[in-house]
Amino acid sequence: MLGFLSARQAGLDDPLRLRRAESTRRVLSLKLNPDRDVERIHGNGINAIDIDAAEGRYMLSGGADGVIVIYDLDNHSGKQQYTCKAVRTVGSRHVHRFSVESVQWYPYDTGMFVSSSFDKTMKVWDTETLKPAEVFEFEGNVYSHHLSPIARKHSLIAVGTKNPKIQLCDLKSGSRIHVLQGHRAEVLSVRWSPRYEYILATASADSKVNVWDVRRASGSLFTLDQHNGEKSKASSQAVNTAHNGRVNGLCFTSDGLFLLTTGTDDRMRLWNSANGENTLVNYGKVCNESRKRLQFTVSRGCSPEFVFVPCGSSVAVYALHTGKLVTMLRGHYNNVDCCEFHPDYQGAASLPAGNPAFQDNWSSDED
Amino acid sequence: MNRKRALISDVFKVKKRRNGTEKFGAVDDGDGRVDVKSTLEFLMTLFPRKLFNDTLPPIVLKHQLYSIHNDKTLVDKEVNKLQESGELLTFQLGFDSEAFGLVFAADYKAKVLAGEEGRATRTTVEKFLEKVVSSCTDLSFSKDKMLREFLFTDPEITQLVKSGVLTVRDAGSWWLSIPNSGKFTKYFIQGRKAVLGMVKKAKYNEVLRAELEERRTPSQVKFPMKYHVHDIIGAELVESIPTTSGTLLRFADS
Repeated sequence: MLGFLSARQAGLDDPLRLRRAESTRRVLSLKLNPDRDVERIHGNGINAIDIDAAEGRYMLSGGADGVIVIYDLDNHSGKQQYTCKAVRTVGSRHVHRFSVESVQWYPYDTGMFVSSSFDKTMKVWDTETLKPAEVFEFEGNVYSHHLSPIARKHSLIAVGTKNPKIQLCDLKSGSRIHVLQGHRAEVLSVRWSPRYEYILATASADSKVNVWDVRRASGSLFTLDQHNGEKSKASSQAVNTAHNGRVNGLCFTSDGLFLLTTGTDDRMRLWNSANGENTLVNYGKVCNESRKRLQFTVSRGCSPEFVFVPCGSSVAVYALHTGKLVTMLRGHYNNVDCCEFHPDYQGAASLPAGNPAFQDNWSSDED
Repeated sequence: MNRKRALISDVFKVKKRRNGTEKFGAVDDGDGRVDVKSTLEFLMTLFPRKLFNDTLPPIVLKHQLYSIHNDKTLVDKEVNKLQESGELLTFQLGFDSEAFGLVFAADYKAKVLAGEEGRATRTTVEKFLEKVVSSCTDLSFSKDKMLREFLFTDPEITQLVKSGVLTVRDAGSWWLSIPNSGKFTKYFIQGRKAVLGMVKKAKYNEVLRAELEERRTPSQVKFPMKYHVHDIIGAELVESIPTTSGTLLRFADS
């Protein structure tokens, strides 16, 4: 590491190289942080978390009891032993009636956030007053929603519900007429590409993953096929399926070039997002029993990228392109439901389902 | 020492290394290139030919390779390369959609032809082996492929199914298969269940690998223990944990 530092100092190396090397070193030495803890507010499990993209300071969490809490992750107390305090908790009048399935900050600032829940609504909240500015109602349970992190020309929220049609809700006008048809069973996860603002990937319980361009009037761009067109490997003459079971997790890499999917056949696959080709990286058995969306994440800014997948009561860390299991992060007492990567501190916050619900911050051992 | 980090550059040293430490029984091949062919040959020696009276070529399962080499993606790539060069044949074994059986092409051809001695279907099978198996690396064949590309007629296809080289998959398509492999599948599944049962019955559901391989094989297990141990580790039915007394196999219940 000293070699990197002196090369940076002398100008021999690009500054990005040092940052990447240090990030990767810290990810490889991830351990449960004994000094940092997060305050316990949720009585039941936590289903979704999101860290804001603008500053990386505030964390949103949505629980199985319908409560949404905002935490401040920064440490201003000067002491090493620190508990992240809950800054605001959504009040009881406006809170969701059933469990909150996904939460997301507005990508550009923390003035607004969106949450969707099993009470068949999606609410857009004003962070200042903590009242919903807009409520969208649906016919079935809402499994997942996503706002595009890079969109400049549109402000669409893609919503995946029990209904096989994917609805696109517009934040600016409140309209919901745009519908994407193509799946045959409930849509478990939706994700916008971080590279192109009009590309959307959706995963459904009918084992298929579709990639859409929302500007196009006719169907999806392509469906991901795990056998890459070779019918010989399939055990039945099935139409292109991404997995041999329900597909319940989707994650793009930070450059948007690759897409990861997880399914209930206990496999995780890496796809080339431009042409839908299965890169055939073998991660081995990635235990997956979730009936809902599985939230997993990919590191940003490291040199071999890492995938953090919740696996039972620990978080499995795999190297992205080789498929090797690097380590298992153990520390939770109950099943882990979701995890999120913090790019500046190279830590991952992971949340368990079931009681007691507390959040662990994982960080490099020098932190 | 800490061989699992061998593929990551030294820059990312996470702990200070001490000089001259021993390996604690965990064996790992630290070399970069993965030699799959010699591993395959080693695994083929574990296959019991006498059990089937020499009618079957030695079969190895693809996931048994994962128990020896660490990097699954590299192993997959090497197997694909061997398949494309025509040395190795892959078969869908039928009891698990992910379990693929591997056989060396030369062994397969020899055994099939030996089994066809003196039978009426011999010429068709020879024709099939030469035309199809040498050129194409597919696992399954559909009806119009057989009729058009390879110019087989319907009665010839029936003969191939009768001789065991093709197995019906669904109406109009067939898997490539090994004749007389039903016995293999039966003994294999029985043996796998018995070995897994041995691990499950142990205290805390875990057994040292060396101890398991030493044990007397129960009557249901017809294959050598090592064959089954490689299989259950590679299929991730047990977790393999390195300890100071060797590798420990713990039943993975999920």
